[in-house]
Amino acid sequence: MRTKLFTPLAIGVLGLLVGLWLVRPPATRANGDKHEENGGHAHVPAPLEYADVHVPLSVWTDPAMITRGKEIYATRCAVCHGDQGDGKGPAGVALPLKPPDFRDKDGVAEMRDNYWFWRVSEGGQVEPFKGKGSAMPPWKSELSVEDRWAVMAYQHTFSGHHGPHVPWEHPESVAMGRDIFAMACVPCHGVAGKGDGSVGAMLAPRRAPQPRDFTSAEFKFRSTPSGQLPTTADLFRTLTEGVRSGGGPMTIGLRGHRIMPSFQHMPVEQRLEVLEYVKSLNRGFWERSEVQTVAVPVPPTLTPERLTRGKQLYADAECLACHGARGRGDGSSAPTLKDNRDLPIAATDLTRPERFKNGARPEDVYRTLVTGLAGTPMPSYGDSLEPDQAWDLAYYVLSLSRGGRTAEAGFR
Amino acid sequence: MTRAMFVIVALVVVSAAPSVADEAPISGTVKAIDASVKTLTLQTTVQGKTRDVTIVLKPETKIVKFARPTEPGKTGFVEQQLALSDLKPGWFVSVTTKHEGGNEVAEIVTVVLEKPR
Repeated sequence: MRTKLFTPLAIGVLGLLVGLWLVRPPATRANGDKHEENGGHAHVPAPLEYADVHVPLSVWTDPAMITRGKEIYATRCAVCHGDQGDGKGPAGVALPLKPPDFRDKDGVAEMRDNYWFWRVSEGGQVEPFKGKGSAMPPWKSELSVEDRWAVMAYQHTFSGHHGPHVPWEHPESVAMGRDIFAMACVPCHGVAGKGDGSVGAMLAPRRAPQPRDFTSAEFKFRSTPSGQLPTTADLFRTLTEGVRSGGGPMTIGLRGHRIMPSFQHMPVEQRLEVLEYVKSLNRGFWERSEVQTVAVPVPPTLTPERLTRGKQLYADAECLACHGARGRGDGSSAPTLKDNRDLPIAATDLTRPERFKNGARPEDVYRTLVTGLAGTPMPSYGDSLEPDQAWDLAYYVLSLSRGGRTAEAGFR
Repeated sequence: MTRAMFVIVALVVVSAAPSVADEAPISGTVKAIDASVKTLTLQTTVQGKTRDVTIVLKPETKIVKFARPTEPGKTGFVEQQLALSDLKPGWFVSVTTKHEGGNEVAEIVTVVLEKPR
């Protein structure tokens, strides 16, 4: 009886062990995750310094760029990535961390253009690829930006996808961000990101500010010149710090007078993912030729003379028309102010820097002065004030609160 | 006896698994070459940790790199044999190895990149 039981049991155990051995992934000494071993990519967002590098739409289908990319690929990439783009070049097959298979349409579709450009530029010199022993060389010092775009355009042809490699062609590339957006942002910004979520209207009933419409070209908080879209770093700053403002009953409990909560506790990678989704709602991020930012010089020393000049500028630039002589947001024009949605909007009370939407450090106020707040009556003074004048005015604005102590302390 | 054999075979199969799989290639940057004792020291990164691995080369170890053929009309890559003295510090290589007597012994050294990364 015992023998009858033991034999099938032993065979079963042996079969199980052999099965486990067969399915066990090979132990590797220099490899990353299984996805990469199989010729995939890492599921990480491009860092902020690469986040705005979106490949111009025409590059992906431009025959001249593809030809240029093919020549570079043949001499520099094919030995690992293979002439057919299958990741099976003679040197590539010897690597523990296999090069990706560009014929894998699904895998390629998941790679965003800025991630791709980051990989080509930095290779295996940066984490998480460095820690996985990636052999990929960095090409940023040898190939121009256009050459790197050309190589990407040629690599893209292996996938069989015809057309630009953009999120609206490949929604799976922003799937993680879309899921985070659905959980964290939809109640205010709406399903389509048009700022029409069900909760949004209750935050500040029938008045500004309302949740941002991500499909429009107007973003308030930018380091870019007036009329331009923000950088990803600008969006990241807003997402991380939230937006200060007094709101309706729905904002009670949002710490620090924020009408938009701070997401500083969300992991950085998740914040970057959701921003990639947010950007995918606005093709302008791909259609702009270059990203310019307004330089914010190092804050100068605060002196009484600077405050005197700032006070004069405050009058000359007609700040008091909206913000009032004492900066309390009670200027003669204040009751008539409206935003781009024709909603009444309050002039900011400059004596309450803790409610400055764009931050209240001297450099934040400087940035607000030179970029303006798009969609609001707050204009840009970037063309009318010299940098030193902008500092004078920024310090004077900050001096309007708490007897001027804020200006020195740098309120955040 | 049969039962004991079953158990022994099972244990042998399971214990053999890691040693077989352990022969995955080692890739890294050439840090040092000692032609006198025929060793190659690679700086490798394993799960985020960088370490040096010294690999012993035997007479039968192949050192290869791949290049485009020079003959007109030929495509693909041709394998070129190199000597240990051809390797340079800073090159990135991938090495298939076997454990022998506590050493990592190279079977094939493939040059992936001929310049410092």
